[in-house]
Amino acid sequence: MSNDNQELDPNMDPGSTLTAMTSGPFSRRRLLAGAGIISAGLIAAACGSDSKKTTATTGAPSTTVATSTAPTTGATTAPTTAATTPATGGSTPSSEAPANNDGAILMLAAGLEVLAVGTYKAALDAATAGKLGAVPPAVATFVTTAMAQHQAALDKLNSVLTAAGATAVTEPNAKLKPVVDAAFGKVTDVGGAAKLALMLEQIAAATYQSAIPAITDKTGQQLAGSIMIIDFQHAAVLNFVLGNYPVPDTFGKLDQAVAA
Amino acid sequence: MLIDDKRLAELIEESQDQQSEAMKIATASIPDLRDYANDRRHSALITPEEIRSLQESRSNLKSRLGLAAGAGVIGVAISGILSRPVAADTALDVQILQTASSLEILAVATYGAALTLDFIKNGNKVVSAFATMTMSQHDEHRQAFQAQTKALNGTVQDQPNPKYAPIVEQAKPTLKTPADVVTLAATLEQVATETYLSDINQFTDKTAQGLMASVMGVESQHLAVLRAVGALLAGGAADLIAIPTDVTKLPAAAGSIAFPDAFQGITMASPPAEGAVK
Repeated sequence: MSNDNQELDPNMDPGSTLTAMTSGPFSRRRLLAGAGIISAGLIAAACGSDSKKTTATTGAPSTTVATSTAPTTGATTAPTTAATTPATGGSTPSSEAPANNDGAILMLAAGLEVLAVGTYKAALDAATAGKLGAVPPAVATFVTTAMAQHQAALDKLNSVLTAAGATAVTEPNAKLKPVVDAAFGKVTDVGGAAKLALMLEQIAAATYQSAIPAITDKTGQQLAGSIMIIDFQHAAVLNFVLGNYPVPDTFGKLDQAVAA
Repeated sequence: MLIDDKRLAELIEESQDQQSEAMKIATASIPDLRDYANDRRHSALITPEEIRSLQESRSNLKSRLGLAAGAGVIGVAISGILSRPVAADTALDVQILQTASSLEILAVATYGAALTLDFIKNGNKVVSAFATMTMSQHDEHRQAFQAQTKALNGTVQDQPNPKYAPIVEQAKPTLKTPADVVTLAATLEQVATETYLSDINQFTDKTAQGLMASVMGVESQHLAVLRAVGALLAGGAADLIAIPTDVTKLPAAAGSIAFPDAFQGITMASPPAEGAVK
């Protein structure tokens, strides 16, 4: 089945479903259906000192930015770099500023943070209700800490958005939410919850990584980087808890990135 | 329509004066701009402050020319030229990549040295495997940073970081336990992570920026693992440093020790010029 024909199936394996949703250009575009787009320069206005504030508008979904480009570094074990240039889609060095898609990117990120907070909260509630069996102390601490950190990330992203005149994001990513909910409905133990959490952290980490070169505002780039790092670390600990090697990749991957 | 010939002559003369003044300013400034651009192409050392200073200078020059030349064609043309981004913007990119290479070289050397220590080489299998794997990953990062340096026509940095290399050398004789090694390695991983985060928004070259982002996440994972391992060692729970581990026996703090903050800071970041080729 091609990506173009993929339909969301709540009965699919959550991992494969989420991966499928974020791995193809078409499915990435679908993720953005209905997403509001902030006009160019909006976030630059919030973060930059000399940019002019503009009003928020809505419009058609933007183009894909989360592309895994071919390595251009020449290293023998060259990485899949996040050399994302939305204006051209190329990866060659360029001094030209890409088209400003900052607002859409930060809104997308905020939607993922809402989803992460909600999922961890659901896990916490399920654990408290005894639905996940015995919960090890380290796992309980992880869930509480990760949820708080995603909430902090969401608050920060929303503060940038609202400072730019946009509306704070309070709803989870609309396309991922039903799939995550369906997957969570099948979770019966801590291991299952950890697997779902790992997938969400990997999606978030990859999305921020792909966003860094796509964001035009320098403060926004650094904010994305500072959040991305914490998501990578969440993923490392989840891998360890699940019995996997905690740093399996030499370079951060983009194949699960959601596009803005 | 009546033409005031006298006033027209005055305006023409005034305009010629303005144009002459504008050309004087522009001509006088060109060598400075050329020298500066040339310096930036060839100098290994340049700071973001220098770039901002030049951009301010160009902006001031643009304003002065605008005032002198009014809305004349020459004024608009020169103003347009000065509105373009500063040339040779890859100089800072190269410095960042050189410093990153220096940190990776030092990391490889440090893990390599650690693996010669008996309590690492023949100690906890996961710690030993982590040191080996992490050393390999840092070496791939080095290769990637060096390759990108070449791609930007820069000089490859093949020496360890000049600030931290002496610190590592000083620390080597004091490495008596796995915890000592973990502490030293965690310091280097934190410096690398924070350096890359600090630099991530200073790139002109998008490929270099994307590369650094992809490496930054991995270094942060090394740091997270070392924090957790360090805590388990400090807590006398070395037996839990295993894959798979017994999750039920992990102390509660193991669930948060690896990421103490919601946002990564940059207090330990090295400046772009620190490891640049002199």
